[in-house]
Amino acid sequence: MAEFDRQGAGVRETPGVQAWKFSDIIAVPEIREKWEKVRKHFFLRESTYDMTRRCNIDCEGCYYYQGDKAAVPENRNPDQWRQLMRHEKDRGITYVVLAGAEPSLVPELCRVCFEEIPLGCIATNGIKRIDSTVDYQIHISVWGNDETSRRLRGAKNMLKRQIDNYLNDSRAVFVYTFTRDNIDEVDEVADLLAKNNCRLTFNMFSAPVGYSGGLCHDTASLKKTRETMQRICNQYPDHACFSRYNIVAHTHMLGLHELFSCPYPRANPSTDIGLGRSFRQYRTDLSWDRSAACCVPDTDCSDCRHYAAGSAVVTSRMFRHGKDPDLFKAWLDYVDVYLAVWVRGYEKSPDLCADLIAPPGHDVFEK
Amino acid sequence: MQQELTTEETIEGVAKIIIDELKLEDVTPQTFDPDLDLIDEVGVDSMDLATVALVLQDEYGVSIDEDDYPKLKSLRLIAEYVLAHAPVKS
Repeated sequence: MAEFDRQGAGVRETPGVQAWKFSDIIAVPEIREKWEKVRKHFFLRESTYDMTRRCNIDCEGCYYYQGDKAAVPENRNPDQWRQLMRHEKDRGITYVVLAGAEPSLVPELCRVCFEEIPLGCIATNGIKRIDSTVDYQIHISVWGNDETSRRLRGAKNMLKRQIDNYLNDSRAVFVYTFTRDNIDEVDEVADLLAKNNCRLTFNMFSAPVGYSGGLCHDTASLKKTRETMQRICNQYPDHACFSRYNIVAHTHMLGLHELFSCPYPRANPSTDIGLGRSFRQYRTDLSWDRSAACCVPDTDCSDCRHYAAGSAVVTSRMFRHGKDPDLFKAWLDYVDVYLAVWVRGYEKSPDLCADLIAPPGHDVFEK
Repeated sequence: MQQELTTEETIEGVAKIIIDELKLEDVTPQTFDPDLDLIDEVGVDSMDLATVALVLQDEYGVSIDEDDYPKLKSLRLIAEYVLAHAPVKS
């Protein structure tokens, strides 16, 4: 608040009442500019789709092979997928996320989705290149250096193959998943990605239900990851796409659900408005189950710090952040990152917040 | 004073906010059907409602709980909510 006073925003704080009016907060030029920029994208309404049961690698802790998702049949009929996409469009879906197990193995289905709904993203391991005619954002999962990838994913020379496939491809965002054990490896990965002018963002390993293996985070690894993310963001500002508030939200002791209250159907009984009303997570047989529907099904909600989850969980809580300029700036930075990572052609702006801001009602890092 | 506002006046005030914030065209505060379903018939979503809620807070001093968003399905329901929750001034 002091910063805004210095800038002469003319906002007064009166003890015992709402300290800031929203109209005063968004009257500050730098906030207004980013607010107007991000709100143009409020029309995005997402659903996610498992494309195939098959994958070309076998990763420890993979969410897809938890639960019964992989047990359903696979629908590979492009006409039926096209019909589904048209139905999705009719019910207001404007953004699709093509995920499990490995969408690059069914390029014809990805193309059908793109032809019907042109905004979206594909989550891939990056081993098989997705043709550029499918002009979705491409999220390439990175789980550490090549030695770790070989050990956890059974794939050799993974980062080199991923970079070769998506060099100079503006669709590509490399998503580094921090586990408890690979925190120090991000330096060599980020360095190589930056040298190849590849964009990078961060994910946090979030345990699937029932998983208690060595990839799970603990207090020490969360703190170390937080410090490491800050360092990498400072070191590679042109390539690392993450804000200070992203760092706080995703490395907090409390998971995203406890911090912000997850709005996905699985955690939200309301069907009246927002994700609880519109979001679906389709399986490969084109069925969906509301009780299981979220962006990364079969993740343990109490451990969920997933980047995809945060993109909806934090973003949807605008009201809680619109009470204070610093908090709202942090939220705007988060949404700006979300859009840069998920929306083709969206360019991230410089962050408004240089400090770590606590989520509404919480400390920066609670024990 | 807010406690002196009538429902009709509040409906018009809320309509103006929604039109301004959501950049609705071809409708004025006077022609906005107060019973139109904002979610089903206007296409208002949770982010839109959050924006409107923040401006309503500014204009009427009413804090709208996020859990109450589903209740705010029309101008009339929003106006009634505002009147019921607005702070009484002495």
